[in-house]
Amino acid sequence: MARFRLLPDEQLARSPLRELWREFARQHSAMAGLALFLLFVVLAVLSPLLAPHDPYLQNDALLLIAPSWSEAGLVQYPFGTDDLGRDLLSRMLIGARYSFGIALITVLGALLTGLVLGSLAGMSKGLKSSALNHVLDLALTIPSLLLAIIIVAILGPGLINTIWAIMLALLPQFVHSVRNAIAEQLNLDYVIAYRLDGASNWQVLTRVILPNIWERLTVTASMALSTAILDIAALGFLGLGAQAPTAEWGAIIADSLDLIYVAPVGVALPGLLIFTCVLSVNLVGDGLRNAMKKRRDN
Amino acid sequence: MTLYLLRRLFLLAFVFLGLSLLAFSLAYLFPGDVLQNFTGLTTMSTEHAAELQAEYRLDSGYLQQYIAYLQRIFNGNWGLSFSSNQPVLHEIQLLLPATLELAAYALLMSFFIGIPLGILAAIKPEGIISRIISALAVAGFSIPVFWWALLLIMLFSLGLGWLPTAGRVGVLYEIPHVTGFMLLDILLSNSQHQSEALIDALRHLLLPTLVLATFPTTVMIRFTRDSMLDVWEQSYIKTARAKGLNRAQVLYRHGLRNALLPVIRQIGLQFSTLITLAMITEVIFSWPGLGRWLIDSIYQRNYPAIQAGLLVISTLVISVNMLTEILHTLFNPLARKR
Repeated sequence: MARFRLLPDEQLARSPLRELWREFARQHSAMAGLALFLLFVVLAVLSPLLAPHDPYLQNDALLLIAPSWSEAGLVQYPFGTDDLGRDLLSRMLIGARYSFGIALITVLGALLTGLVLGSLAGMSKGLKSSALNHVLDLALTIPSLLLAIIIVAILGPGLINTIWAIMLALLPQFVHSVRNAIAEQLNLDYVIAYRLDGASNWQVLTRVILPNIWERLTVTASMALSTAILDIAALGFLGLGAQAPTAEWGAIIADSLDLIYVAPVGVALPGLLIFTCVLSVNLVGDGLRNAMKKRRDN
Repeated sequence: MTLYLLRRLFLLAFVFLGLSLLAFSLAYLFPGDVLQNFTGLTTMSTEHAAELQAEYRLDSGYLQQYIAYLQRIFNGNWGLSFSSNQPVLHEIQLLLPATLELAAYALLMSFFIGIPLGILAAIKPEGIISRIISALAVAGFSIPVFWWALLLIMLFSLGLGWLPTAGRVGVLYEIPHVTGFMLLDILLSNSQHQSEALIDALRHLLLPTLVLATFPTTVMIRFTRDSMLDVWEQSYIKTARAKGLNRAQVLYRHGLRNALLPVIRQIGLQFSTLITLAMITEVIFSWPGLGRWLIDSIYQRNYPAIQAGLLVISTLVISVNMLTEILHTLFNPLARKR
C-alpha cells in the first residue's frame, strides 16, 4: 500500500519559476535565443563604449572602403565605411540602441499602460467594461503600420513620434490579453476563496491575479517586441521613422539602397541584424510558451 | 444564431461609427486648414470658400459637421487629392483591386503551402522533418519583409535575371482597365498577345506574392501544427483509432475537420498584418496599389488621401474580420453557444 504523503518529495516540490527555467533550459533553441537576446541587450546598453569610431563622423578620405575581408579593406574598419566615410561597424553597434533598445522601451511602456487599462477593464463590470471592449475591437482592427502612418502624418516623421505611434499600436493587444487573463482568473476557486476571506479588489488583483498572469504577459510582450522591432525598422526604411543621419538599421538600409551594387554590405548587414534580433526574441518567446505548456502537463 | 448575427451587426455598426469619427477628427488633427483637409482644394477664391464653408457646415457645431461628413461619405464625395486634384474615391477605385489581387494570391499561397506543411510537422512532432519545418517557420516569422524582398530581387532579378523587379505587367502590353484585377483583365481583353501578356503578368506577380506570402505561411504552419497537436490528444481521436481506422482515415475524417476550424478564424486575425505587409511590399516592387499610394500620400502631405485610405483599409480589414468570425461560428457549433 502506498504511503500517504501530505507533501510531495522535496525534489519535486520546486517553485514554479524554477520549474519553468528547467523546462526552458532543456530547449537548445530557446537557450541560443536567450544568449543572443542578452547579447543585444548588452550591445544596446554599452554600444557607445564599444564602438571603435564615431558613428556620425564623416571622413572624406575613406569613402566606401570595402569590408576588411576583401583585398581593398582596412583592418581598422571591419565592415568598411559608407558613402560618407562613416564606420559601418560603429553605426551597426549604435543601431542596436535605436532598433532594439527603443523597441524594448516601447514595449515596456505599452505593457505598463496596458496592465493598468486592462486591469481596470478586467475588474470592472457592465457598461464600462463592454464600452472599453468595443473601443479595443476597433483599435485592434486598424493595422499597426497604418495607425503609425496616421500618427506620423499628424505629428510629422521622426524617431520620437514613431515611438508614440508604435506604443499606441501595441497597446490594444496588451489591454486585451490582460483583460482576458484577469477574466479567466476571476472565476477560479482560489480567487473566490480569497474574496470570501474579505479581500478587496485591489488585494485580489495584486496578491492573487498578477502573480498568476505575469508569465502569460511575458509571452505577449515577447510577441509585441518582435512586432515593435520590425515596425521601427520598417518605418525607418520607409523614411517615416528615424531620419537620415540616425544610425537606425532600417534607415541605414534605405540609405545604402542606391549603392547596393557597389557596397552590398550596407544593405545585407543591417538586415541580417534585424533578422537575428527578431529571431532571438521569437526563440525566447517560443521557448517560454513551450516551457509553460510542459510545466502544466507535468 | 440570429441573435448572434444581430449582436455582431450591432458591434459592426459601433465599430464603423468609431472609425468614421476617427476619420472625421483627422481633418482637425492634421496640420493645415480644416476646409482644405476636407475638400482637398488648395486654392479657392473667397466666395467659393464661403460657399464651401456653408456646404460643409463648418460654421455650425461639430455634430452638424460630422453629419455633413457622413452624408458626403455616402454620396461618394470624398474630396480631392492634393497632389493630383482627382477625386480621392476614384483613385482608390482604380488602385484597390491591385492590392486585393496581391493580398488574395498571397493568402491563397499561404494556404496551399502552410497548411500541408503544418500537418506534416504535426505527424511526428519530434522528428527531423518537423524540426526543419519549425525552424523554417521561425525564420520566416522573423525576417523583415523589406529586406527579404530586397534579397529576392537581388537574387532572382538582378543576379539571375529571371524575373522583373517592378510593376504589374510589361509596358509593351496594353491592357484596358475593366475590373482592375490584372489577370482577369488580360483574359477579358481580346488582343492577339493574350497568352504572352498572361505569362508576363504572372512573372511580375510571382516575386511580390512570394514575399508577401512568407509571413502568413509561417503563421499558418505554426497554427496548423499547434492545432493538429491539440486535436490529436483528444479522446475522440483515440476512439476513432480504437475503432480500427488507420492513421490517414482518422486524419481526414476527424483530425483535419476539427484542427482546421480555428484556422478560419486565424485568417481574419492575420488579415490586418497582411495588409500592413502588402503596403511595404507594394513600395518595394512599385506595385500600383493602395499601400504605395498611401505611403506616397504621406510624403506629399496629402491629407484627404490619408483620411480616405484609413477609411477604406480599415473597412476592408474589419469586414474580413467579421466575415471570418461569422464563418467560424457557422461551421463550429461549439462557438455558437457563447
